[in-house]
Amino acid sequence: MRLFETKQLGEMAPATKIVVYGLLGLWTLIVLFPLYWVVVTSLKLPIDVANGPVYLPFVDYWPSLHAWKYIFVDIGLDTFRPYLNSVIVAVASTCLAMAIGSLAAYGLSRFSFRPRLVTVIVFILGIAGAIVIVARFGVDWRLAVAAALALIIIASRALQKAPSPHLSNSDVLFWMISQRILPPVVAAIPIYVMFQQLGMLDTHAALIVTYTTVNLPIVVWLMHDFFMSIPRDLEESAELDGASRIRIFVEIILPLALPGLIATALLVLILAWNEYLLALFLSTARAQTIPLLVSAQNATRGPQWWYMSVLIIIMILPVILLTLVLQRFIAKGLLLGAVKG
Amino acid sequence: MRQAGSETFSEWLDRYSGRLFVMPAVLLILAFSIFPLIVSAWFALSRFKLAAGGYDIRFVGLLNFRKLLIGSEQYHFLGTFVPKSTLGWLAIVVVAAFIGRSAFLYARSGRITVFGLLGRTIAYAVFGSLVWLLASTIGRGGQLGSLGTTLFYVCCGLALQFTIGTALAWICAQKIRGRTFFRVVFFIPLMVTPVGIAYTFRMLADMTVGPLAPIGQVFGFGAFEWATNQWSARLVIMLGESWQWIPFIFIVMLAAFESQPRDEVEAAELDGASTFQIFRDITWPAVAPIAATVALIRMIEAFKIVDLPNVLTNGGPGISTESLTLHSFMQWRALDLGASAAVAYALLFVSTIFCVSFFNFILEPLRRTRQ
Amino acid sequence: MTGTWFAKRAFVACSAVVFAQVAQAGEFDGVTINIMTFTGPQIAEPLQRRAPDFAKLTGAKVNVITVPFSDLYQKLLTDWSTGTNSIDAGVFAPQWMVDYVTPGLLEDLSERVAKDTAIKQDDIAPFFREFSQKFNGKTYMLTLDGDFHMAYYRADVAKELGLEAPKTWDDYLAFAKAAHGKDMNGDGKPDFGSCISKKRNAQAYWFIYDLIGPMVQSKGTSQGAFFDTTDMKPLVNNEAVAEALRLYSETTQFGPPNEINLDVGDTRTLFISGQCALSLDWGDIGSLAIDKEKSKVIDKVGAIITPGSKRVLDSASGKLVDCTADTCPYAKDGINHAPLAAFGGWSGGINAKADPKVKDAAYAFFSYMSQPEQSNVDVTIGASGFNPYRLTQFQQLDNWTKAGMSEEAAKNYLGAIQDSLNSPNMILDLRIPANQRYQQIVLDTAVARFLAGEIDAAATMKAIEDGWNEITDELGRDDQLAAYKSTIGAK
Repeated sequence: MRLFETKQLGEMAPATKIVVYGLLGLWTLIVLFPLYWVVVTSLKLPIDVANGPVYLPFVDYWPSLHAWKYIFVDIGLDTFRPYLNSVIVAVASTCLAMAIGSLAAYGLSRFSFRPRLVTVIVFILGIAGAIVIVARFGVDWRLAVAAALALIIIASRALQKAPSPHLSNSDVLFWMISQRILPPVVAAIPIYVMFQQLGMLDTHAALIVTYTTVNLPIVVWLMHDFFMSIPRDLEESAELDGASRIRIFVEIILPLALPGLIATALLVLILAWNEYLLALFLSTARAQTIPLLVSAQNATRGPQWWYMSVLIIIMILPVILLTLVLQRFIAKGLLLGAVKG
Repeated sequence: MRQAGSETFSEWLDRYSGRLFVMPAVLLILAFSIFPLIVSAWFALSRFKLAAGGYDIRFVGLLNFRKLLIGSEQYHFLGTFVPKSTLGWLAIVVVAAFIGRSAFLYARSGRITVFGLLGRTIAYAVFGSLVWLLASTIGRGGQLGSLGTTLFYVCCGLALQFTIGTALAWICAQKIRGRTFFRVVFFIPLMVTPVGIAYTFRMLADMTVGPLAPIGQVFGFGAFEWATNQWSARLVIMLGESWQWIPFIFIVMLAAFESQPRDEVEAAELDGASTFQIFRDITWPAVAPIAATVALIRMIEAFKIVDLPNVLTNGGPGISTESLTLHSFMQWRALDLGASAAVAYALLFVSTIFCVSFFNFILEPLRRTRQ
Repeated sequence: MTGTWFAKRAFVACSAVVFAQVAQAGEFDGVTINIMTFTGPQIAEPLQRRAPDFAKLTGAKVNVITVPFSDLYQKLLTDWSTGTNSIDAGVFAPQWMVDYVTPGLLEDLSERVAKDTAIKQDDIAPFFREFSQKFNGKTYMLTLDGDFHMAYYRADVAKELGLEAPKTWDDYLAFAKAAHGKDMNGDGKPDFGSCISKKRNAQAYWFIYDLIGPMVQSKGTSQGAFFDTTDMKPLVNNEAVAEALRLYSETTQFGPPNEINLDVGDTRTLFISGQCALSLDWGDIGSLAIDKEKSKVIDKVGAIITPGSKRVLDSASGKLVDCTADTCPYAKDGINHAPLAAFGGWSGGINAKADPKVKDAAYAFFSYMSQPEQSNVDVTIGASGFNPYRLTQFQQLDNWTKAGMSEEAAKNYLGAIQDSLNSPNMILDLRIPANQRYQQIVLDTAVARFLAGEIDAAATMKAIEDGWNEITDELGRDDQLAAYKSTIGAK
């Protein structure tokens, strides 16, 4: 990263130095104080919390491990299960999203797609028709979907000759990205109904598929920019040697894109790890994830701050460790593609 | 035989590899966007009622939207109207002039297309009416609805996060000691689950038993309660949201500043340009497209704000901190699915207009000028 | 706490003998019951704690599934109404019953209850037995917890100030005013006169009815406090509600500065840490106040029936009139009390579409939880979240003294409960279809806006009236009226 020489610290005027470090110190305090507060709260008895602020364990109050004991021993199994669920769901959906998303991003950066507007419209009308039929007339949904697909194929064949504007790669890309705009609250109920029909409610699979889809736009967006910034000469020579597209992608492109992949994966992992609203809809018992457990500590007796703090700590820790390990990739990789514009 | 078969297959694979690469993503997104969108639209146009044997859904046309715009939920969605103040009129005039200028430039550009014209008309209409709305609901006796509150979170929050995030990134891009430390520390808030942040801020913002209570008492505003005043309550929620999202802007802008070529800067330094001049004339133009991208990503996410108001204030005092997602979520909790979907659709409409306009009017021109 | 724990164990051992009457050992071998309630520790705690014993007795495995409180209503309803049926039974509020009974989602338990001798229905307070568990005359839920509002005051502060326990809302305000700003827990800081949960989208919409209730309903439960039983006209735009709103906003003056953002969990914490002279709550403060780990007000708490009113609404004119033998038949000393059975007490209901064997097992479990041997212990444990609802629970003081209450305090607490429960003028919480929209959306939002100063009293009343009428008309006025009359037992 030593592409350039910056001013050495010594060159800064002392006054500037004080201001700069003052600002950085202040912001460090702003970032760390809430976390410090969470840590000390996890060591407090309820009565220490209710009687006004105490700041320093051993000095202000006597720390107690009661909350830790409650979370790890008393309800240990009930903590472990959602925790494991969160790990499974976050890791699996991140891997899936990265695989599907970077494939799509690569495809969009190297091939040209020209879907016809007419086909798209026919498709949407077909699906809408199927939904109306199922909803209004109680037709079995499998039948309706099959019929709609058949009609869509027939109609698009028939309209093949009809003049229609074409969409371009950037339209497809923008369409994918725009899915991120969709507020979860719009999609939550239909997605619930969909998984209910498939008998997949409260399963890991449902959450994994949903998170994969929700995070796909981010992967596609970031990785597309990244792939665009990779020069094509290497691929062209490999193609002349007769390598298949898949091999080129796996053996040449992916290693080059590694920093970007890691940074993007970390971001997606964090989003999946912390997701709350969709998990609330889609899981009841078996697939409950840890953010639900955090919010559930706010019960009729008021928020159980001490338990909640323990949960928040055990939620952040693995992500912080991961970030420490991967930190050299983050700044380098994240949006390097976008940096190249 | 086998050899030939597998060759044909790999040939076939290679021929269609472009489509095969993109297809899984397209199918997934289709299933999770088109289908929910249509079903939600149908909810928004009907009334949901529990009835014998399950539930009953009756088509009611635009009733749910009428309620939001001119009916009993108007105060909740749009706000309470009061006569506009001088400042309000001023804002309207400024924005009208701005829209007029933009339309005039577009008309003269000679690159008018059907879609472009349509898009611009919608965007102008939406922005014009939103400014009109804000001008008529902010002021003595007026009250922002959930729409106005969401816009406050998005616009003011974005401005704050962007300023602080960029400033921190710029400082950290200078060669200072402990950069790695600051980089990791500043990234941390992004990792905390939003629900956790919401509860943490509820602890911190408690003015009787929270850590800031003594400070408040020292400065003599111990009796001041942020939760009882609509603007201070909104501000606290915006600050909590900013705490989490400044790291995102920080980390991206840091990458942008670091990858910027140094020779130009050094040449300018030799010419005796001030730090501010260098930033304005060299650094900023180079990073502007990334800045716009990161602002867009942040804007998209900001429209969905729900956890913080839900946990900190439940939307109170009154309705003043209620965001659109929370509004929709509360209706849904009471099983008023029609009203819930209608609010959600309104949110989708506004956020799409904002994000698409931002993309077309700000991000794309920036990218073009740079290329 | 350990003392009560052993006591509980002893009880479980004894109860095994009694319980054998209804369920034989191993009767439900291999049966798993999925029961949903909200994430505790309250309510879920006793269910989880007693599940292993129940498994030993009958062989049935009880799975307690918990979701956040605010999502319980729709989570259960969506699971059952969409036919997912992954949940066999729920412990939830009987207030929601109508939304479950109308679509036929809840199992009718009348026959099972009639055959069950161990559950001792006669021992359950009549209000819960006759109103709370039933809909249209049939029993759909088993009460596990007694829920209604009471007022709590600091007995030591009252003595110091030379004040009586408040009887009317004017007394309440006077008490709050006198106590406000005094240091009541010895930390050197001024404390508050009155702590009422006024946070939006929490419990505030119930507390406002503690004030409205006694001014609107005076002729018994079946008069109704929400709607006119002749034409479903909301009883919310009149002098009584205006007066209630005035009193309500006046209590804010003597509350903590952030009272508008406190939910009932916060006010409880404040009260038991000694920072409030008065509070409104369910029965919980009584058992929490004796928790040695959390409480600073052990044996300093007095409980009373929620304050009443000397004037009541004349619904024809919309004006307040003085209480007479005619207008307030149930008044004591000229004061009309109308305790509010808010929420209705956590109760168990069974999914009508569950497997028959599972239904039987679920019934056996709820019956087991409700039987005096279990329930008499559970209601004395603060963490259980269960409040008394059986007659013996008021009469036998020893359970309470064992749990750490002084005899005097126990008498006072149980006396207040008895006063409220015996009142023929108790207000049944709103139970008509879509009651969540009437209360949590319309009423709650309007009152929150009033407290935040967004709208004045007149506009608040009009907002509630219009909002309620709109929902009523949307769902069908006649249907709603019929439902309302049948829930409160009006003719």
